[in-house]
Amino acid sequence: MTEYAKPIKRRKIKGDAAWGYAFIAVALLVFAMFTLYPVISALIISFQKYKPIGSEFVGFENYTETFKDKLFWKAIVNTVVYTVLTVPVSLLLSFAVSIMILPLKKKMQTVFKAVYYLPAVASGVALSLVWLWIFDPMPVGIFNKVTSFFGLGTHNWLGSSAYAMFSLVLMAWLSSHGTSIIIYLAALLGIDGSYYEAAELDGASFFQKLWYIVVPCLKPTTLFLLVTGVIGSFQVFQNAYLMTGGGPDNATTMVGLLIFNNAFKYFEFGKAAAQSLVLAAIIAVISFIQFKFLGKDVEY
Amino acid sequence: MMKKKMRVLASVFALSMALTTLSACGGKDDKAANVDDPNAKDTITALLPPVSANFQSNFDQMAKEFNEKYPNLTLKIEPASWEDMTQKLDTQVNAGSPPDIAFMGSDGISKYVQQGMLMDISDTATEEMLKDYDAAPLEYMKNGKGLYGFPAYMEVHAIGGNKEFMEKAGIDYKKVQKEGWTFDEFREAIKKGVVTENGKTSRYGFVFATAGVTSKDYLGILVKSAGMPSPFTQDLKYAYTSKNFLEVLKDIRVMIDDGSMPKELSSIDAGKRWNMFLTGQTMITGKGLAGFERSAKLNNEKLKNKDASAVKGSIPVDYVVLPVPSFAGAKAQSSVAVDGYVTFRGKKEPTAAHKANVVKAANFLSSGKIAATTNNELFVAQITESGRKAAESMPVDRDPDNKAAVETMLKAAVPARPDIPTDLGAKAIKLEDEVIVPKLQALIAGEITPEAMYEAVRTAAVDAFGEDGVVKD
Repeated sequence: MTEYAKPIKRRKIKGDAAWGYAFIAVALLVFAMFTLYPVISALIISFQKYKPIGSEFVGFENYTETFKDKLFWKAIVNTVVYTVLTVPVSLLLSFAVSIMILPLKKKMQTVFKAVYYLPAVASGVALSLVWLWIFDPMPVGIFNKVTSFFGLGTHNWLGSSAYAMFSLVLMAWLSSHGTSIIIYLAALLGIDGSYYEAAELDGASFFQKLWYIVVPCLKPTTLFLLVTGVIGSFQVFQNAYLMTGGGPDNATTMVGLLIFNNAFKYFEFGKAAAQSLVLAAIIAVISFIQFKFLGKDVEY
Repeated sequence: MMKKKMRVLASVFALSMALTTLSACGGKDDKAANVDDPNAKDTITALLPPVSANFQSNFDQMAKEFNEKYPNLTLKIEPASWEDMTQKLDTQVNAGSPPDIAFMGSDGISKYVQQGMLMDISDTATEEMLKDYDAAPLEYMKNGKGLYGFPAYMEVHAIGGNKEFMEKAGIDYKKVQKEGWTFDEFREAIKKGVVTENGKTSRYGFVFATAGVTSKDYLGILVKSAGMPSPFTQDLKYAYTSKNFLEVLKDIRVMIDDGSMPKELSSIDAGKRWNMFLTGQTMITGKGLAGFERSAKLNNEKLKNKDASAVKGSIPVDYVVLPVPSFAGAKAQSSVAVDGYVTFRGKKEPTAAHKANVVKAANFLSSGKIAATTNNELFVAQITESGRKAAESMPVDRDPDNKAAVETMLKAAVPARPDIPTDLGAKAIKLEDEVIVPKLQALIAGEITPEAMYEAVRTAAVDAFGEDGVVKD
């Protein structure tokens, strides 16, 4: 006999389960307030011409304006260029530094981890001020002194379209690897030593061990850093805002900056919300593609 | 037992965390008088930046004096740095709970009017109050028929020169201060200011801050003396499609090509160019504000006393106030910044009594002793009768030629344009930010020609205002 009408058992939440739910509730509450609520609000606002007093419903107008806006597409292209130039190189640099730190004694490892992590702790504004000083366009500027020394002349690093994006990319290459280095190091320390021993017995070289043991074992970590790196890069705002303001000629206007300007400079919150959601959709698609093609043989 | 205790402790901790988070969302609006009684107790809030060096340190005294004058009222002042001011104010405005009064530039009024968050005080400000203010700056606080606060000062955007260098270059600066100069005269003068050593320029004739948003200032100040005092003509046509606009762009480029301005100009910000001025790397700088005379004097004093806080590498400088040259045969008109105490409203309609109290507070801050003290510190002219009277007993160490030059420029100040509709104004601001400023940066960096920039601005203007909405000459 089939059991169609099984009486529903009311589960009693008690003991450890109850405590578990209580603790999760706090995190859920914070998530609901600071993530879910703003996202739902943004969705609603994206269909409005927002005003603190009396917003009006405008349907898909903010979305159609966004898709017709040349500056939005220029910002998307700039963001993609920035992402393509920064994320892979940053990953490679973090990986290389981690490999170099790995053989050191624990104390030295800690020292290097702290040194590389320091920029992540320092204020972004303070770092930008240092970089502005480094990129001083006059001949007394640090980079200009270096390029002049090598006979490459002086350059208007942040003031010309030809160099402004490169300057921001260079800034990303030379800073903010701390988190990736720590994650890579943790993953490297998790690789079983027996793999290396076996490879050494077989006479494997350093690069062979790197290619056949380290790279495959770090694939989940690399995928994680790649996905979070791309997401972070697509949301980049601070560097462009503080270093170039998006100029010259919008050469460094990223989507994050454009959204910020629309919201807080022009008070076009509806358009800014629509652009944020389009950006979220783009990031979701890219992340899906990354998981689909790079995450096939990744085991967690 | 221990396990149970730990659970209880952890849950208390978790609960307090959640409550702390939730408490941030609460709040009560206790500032507005609910009863429409003019004598009822009321609190007026004001968000104020460090307008002058000692402004914020006088807040307690200001609040005390206000309370003495109006015993039923309390003036609650929230200080903000200049950097935080806009963000703090915008956050409060968009949350629907702005302060009653905020100190800001009158150019921001249209943005908040569009949001419906400003309080029109034209029906509440008394005749006696209004009579105290000079007419020109008061007009800047208007939008349409509404009055949205009181002005604190009207500051001329000029340029500033190094007296010694100008004398060496044979420039009769006193004549320029009185009569002004054309662009051709200015161009020749700044050429004479250039000093070259070993094939490298050690001093430029003119350096204006143009990095980022400051480029907006640069063009905005110059075009006013090219027959375009406002982005819109009197019949509300967009003015920057005029041929004179192209002439200004050509002149901007030619000063760099002459070598009178650095080729790296597009990266020079306000701090850098002031440093270049004090260290003798430029003869003339811009934008120049009256208070720069005070800054230069302070640095001179530090140099004299061998104070280590003097600007590194600086030299003693006598700051000379100079007018902006006129372009394309047009009349010179001075760009001015009128800042003041702007009156805001919250989501709830303010009662008549609260509105009157806010007006009293804004008037108190923008006139009399407070205005006199602040404006004297800034070296700017008094714009209220009560301020002028209070300032009589306050000595100011100001160069009389500079003072006279500022007064001459104020006479040619660009008049306010409260008739420009907010939506038109908003479109012009967006066009400026998204097309004019980026293209100007490219022009200054030598990446596009003046003609290409002019064409880009013209195309964008036609898109925004239509063929009939722009000037054709």
